[in-house]
Amino acid sequence: MGFMQQTAHHDSALAFVPFFVPPISSITRLGPTSCLWRMASDAVTRFDFLVIGGGSGGLAGARRAAELGATCAVIENNRLGGTCGGNVFHVFWKVMWNTSVHAEYLHDHADYGFEGAQAHFSWQLIKNKRDAYVSHLNQIYRNNLDKARIQTIQGNARFTDDPEPTVEVSGKKYTAPHILIATGGHPSTVSDEDVPGASLGITSDGFFELESCPRHSVLVGAGYIAVEMAGILSSLGSKTSLIIRHDGVLRNFDALISSNCTKELENSGIDLWRNTQVKSVQKTEQGLNITLGTKDVKDKDAKEKTDRIQGVDCLLWAIGREPNTAGLNLSQMGVKLDPKGCIVVDEFQNTTRQGIYALGDVCGKALLTPVAIAAGRKLAHRLFEGKAESKLDYTNIPTVVFTHPPIGTIGLTEDEAIRSWGKTSVKAYTTSFTPMYYTITSRKTKCVMKLVCVGKEEKVVGLHMQGPGCDEMLQGFAVAIKMGATKADFDNTIAIHPTSSEELVTMR
Amino acid sequence: MAAFRRGCARWQQVRFLGARAPGRTFAGTHHYDLVVIGGGSGGLACSREAAQLGQKVAVLDHVQPSARGTAWGLGGTCVNVGCIPKKLMHQAALLGVAMDDAGKFGWSIPGPVSHDWSTLAQAVQNYVKSLNWGHRVQLQDRKVKYFNTRGSLLDRHTVRGLDAKGTEMTLTARNIVIATGGRPRYPTHMFIHAWTEVMFGIFNKVTFALVKSHGQNLSRMEDCGASVYVGLECAGLLAGIGLDASVMVRSVALRGFDQQMAQLVTGHMEARGTRFHWGCVPTSVEKLPSGLLQVKWTEVRSDLERVEREDTFSSVLWAIGRVPETTGLNLPQVGVQLHPDTGKIVVATDERTTVSNVYAIGDVAEGRPELTPTAVKAGKLLARRLAGQSNQLMDYHSVPTTVFTPLEYGCVGLSEESAESRYGKDNIEVYHAFYKPLEFTIAERDASHCYVKVVCDRAGVQRVLGLHFTGPSAGEVIQGFAVSVRCGLTYAQLRDTVGIHPTCAEELTKIHITKRSGLDATVTGC
Repeated sequence: MGFMQQTAHHDSALAFVPFFVPPISSITRLGPTSCLWRMASDAVTRFDFLVIGGGSGGLAGARRAAELGATCAVIENNRLGGTCGGNVFHVFWKVMWNTSVHAEYLHDHADYGFEGAQAHFSWQLIKNKRDAYVSHLNQIYRNNLDKARIQTIQGNARFTDDPEPTVEVSGKKYTAPHILIATGGHPSTVSDEDVPGASLGITSDGFFELESCPRHSVLVGAGYIAVEMAGILSSLGSKTSLIIRHDGVLRNFDALISSNCTKELENSGIDLWRNTQVKSVQKTEQGLNITLGTKDVKDKDAKEKTDRIQGVDCLLWAIGREPNTAGLNLSQMGVKLDPKGCIVVDEFQNTTRQGIYALGDVCGKALLTPVAIAAGRKLAHRLFEGKAESKLDYTNIPTVVFTHPPIGTIGLTEDEAIRSWGKTSVKAYTTSFTPMYYTITSRKTKCVMKLVCVGKEEKVVGLHMQGPGCDEMLQGFAVAIKMGATKADFDNTIAIHPTSSEELVTMR
Repeated sequence: MAAFRRGCARWQQVRFLGARAPGRTFAGTHHYDLVVIGGGSGGLACSREAAQLGQKVAVLDHVQPSARGTAWGLGGTCVNVGCIPKKLMHQAALLGVAMDDAGKFGWSIPGPVSHDWSTLAQAVQNYVKSLNWGHRVQLQDRKVKYFNTRGSLLDRHTVRGLDAKGTEMTLTARNIVIATGGRPRYPTHMFIHAWTEVMFGIFNKVTFALVKSHGQNLSRMEDCGASVYVGLECAGLLAGIGLDASVMVRSVALRGFDQQMAQLVTGHMEARGTRFHWGCVPTSVEKLPSGLLQVKWTEVRSDLERVEREDTFSSVLWAIGRVPETTGLNLPQVGVQLHPDTGKIVVATDERTTVSNVYAIGDVAEGRPELTPTAVKAGKLLARRLAGQSNQLMDYHSVPTTVFTPLEYGCVGLSEESAESRYGKDNIEVYHAFYKPLEFTIAERDASHCYVKVVCDRAGVQRVLGLHFTGPSAGEVIQGFAVSVRCGLTYAQLRDTVGIHPTCAEELTKIHITKRSGLDATVTGC
């Protein structure tokens, strides 16, 4: 175990001053300041494992490495919004989604015999609660780091030109035989050159800063973030317009999900603009005026139609995410980036430079918190437990999108399966039904499900569904599908009655 | 609207066909490949599947009104007085809880909110009626002959049918399936005024007015058969819509289920205001001039100490078990053996009774779980075997189930107790975690009863023997895990699956603290 040293910080944020606890149990744990000592600034502090980025993946890797006996440090960039940023992001979503689910319940109360349940919504109250909860979480994560004896280093990390991979933070140098880059990503923005007035809009990061519920929101994008936010805003009473470039949302999902989700958005009263792009944005006293250009991309002869949405108080760009690689000086390190700027890694999270690894959003693949966490842990086991084959299986990762109603998906879409197995070997089972909850309500929502099976044995390679409860439904099926379950295994499982999930084991 | 009219046309067609049957007292003899007695979940599934495979099938279904006059249409217990109305009422109760939470989520609801039982009961009844109708249409579509007639066996191939008007007929069949299910048990050992109702009677229009009077409601349960959860579910849904509910229990709640989980379920109900009278046996129920019911009971504190107690309630609901519906079937006379203790029909692994061409499925068959999906599946598989299409037997192992109490409880496989007694305490590993659903944090709800537990074989690959979950949407959570348990799930495979964040179900894939370690099993952060 390497000898660990610590230099003092003179950061203004006292609460974040890291402290050092020697990793030797016989030494009595001392107070935060008494065990700090100063070093010459040109000295290099060595660790076994150095993690750049305090998001879920980086933290999970560091904590697991520390459990396995490695000395670890996590370099945290304030701009990322503190520890476990990614996780907080998802927690944010789920809290907002739950809030909007209540709006849906409130519609159904009269149908279920409740009288007098008309409600209006206080944005401020839920925002305060959410903020309190998230800062509570941050504190938990920080305590976890302290408990795990992982040093936190505050500041921007930059690789130096030293022969051995070395990172500099606030003028101090740190190195380790294993350096993990887990700096995450940020929402893509549109420049004012491309779309005049684009900067009058905000991104998903800004959404969490909103002090009140916008009266009229315009969202741009067809990905899951755009769709989730549109659903939340609309349920909470904001008049919501969604601008998408093509014919449907979630185009990289199974066709059933893409078309159903597009339909559900429209059914829920969202003003959907297909084949449309934002041309310009102007600020007026009544709010933003947004000029739109609509043109069916499939129809070559079609003329672009111009429309305008007026009096918008929130324009939200949700057109994708970009990796946080700027400022790391990666080009000097022989760490290869792909054309989008994402770090290229192999299946073991190795970058093209020995001793440097990357995972999570910065690699641009499977941008999900649990994926990053799992990848971080697998890496720690490989590096510090000698498990040479420890890697994350990126196939069959279950994903839930918190739309209204939620989407659950795992494995191959039907089209993907046909591409890799051929049309004759693929069999898809689909069903569509009204969940029992909605049988006695005036507001109806459907549940759609698809199982994609391949080969004679009908191995289940994909499961796609949208409907109430699909968020909680997916996990167990994900375990089964990862185990290689066949259609017969599904059929041989006894149903749980009455649920929606039982439809998946009774498909014909 | 168009669909409704089409429905009416079909309804008349059915009536017309029924009316056309010749003879007032004897409707002739008809021959079938298969005659099914009982039009509940199992009987309908079996008859539809058989007809689909080309068999000539008839179904006899007739509901004898209960002591309080409760009767219902085609579809059996599940559709009429079981799973379906119960789940809808449970949803109503969840909405009641959601309303409490809504304030915490930033919604303000001005003025008092009240619940009108008749609105809910009417909505539920309408839906149930549509299901009754749907079942009739399905039978017709599959060319299954339906008789609203009470059936009994004359011999191993002959069924005598007698309808309410006294019309009699004879059906002969190659095979006979008995799927008559069960009915709630009435207490017989004491004086009870008639103004009480057996489980689920409250769902019927005839008696909903009972509960409408906002007094205390008493749900009485005993440990007997599958009805172990019914009392809790009912008390839970009554409490959920704002009524005052008490549960009287003779010994333990949810007998046969994992007892640690059972305590979490009842603990949650108690925390939310449902009163439990443990170790109590009622001695009498009497109607007072005010209309209230005076209940007297004995509280057994120990072998020596017994306390007599009494209280008044606006309604009393018995959930003390179910009795198999075999009366009038003439079973012993044709050689079909009944179990001496339970009165249920003794069956072999292929659902065959002691008469080789007579079969029994569902609640009426001895040793079978009293659950709709097992009856449905057993019925379908039996139909396939009878049609010579398959040899596959019903596998009654690893049956997942969910109790729809206010805090739902879902499980598949063995309870910790059964795993212990089967494998020995030293040979099982129990992983567990107390978790906090995100929904509960903002709502400031007590999450101390939200818990997951995975019971594994300790040796080798740590095969999962049982999986238990209390929390929101337990039924939806457990189904997929049931598929994986059927595939031979191991602890490593469970842990190897990427979690879905943030959900409750992901807690099962994150589970890592063993009970043996004695470590705190409370989940914190990521």
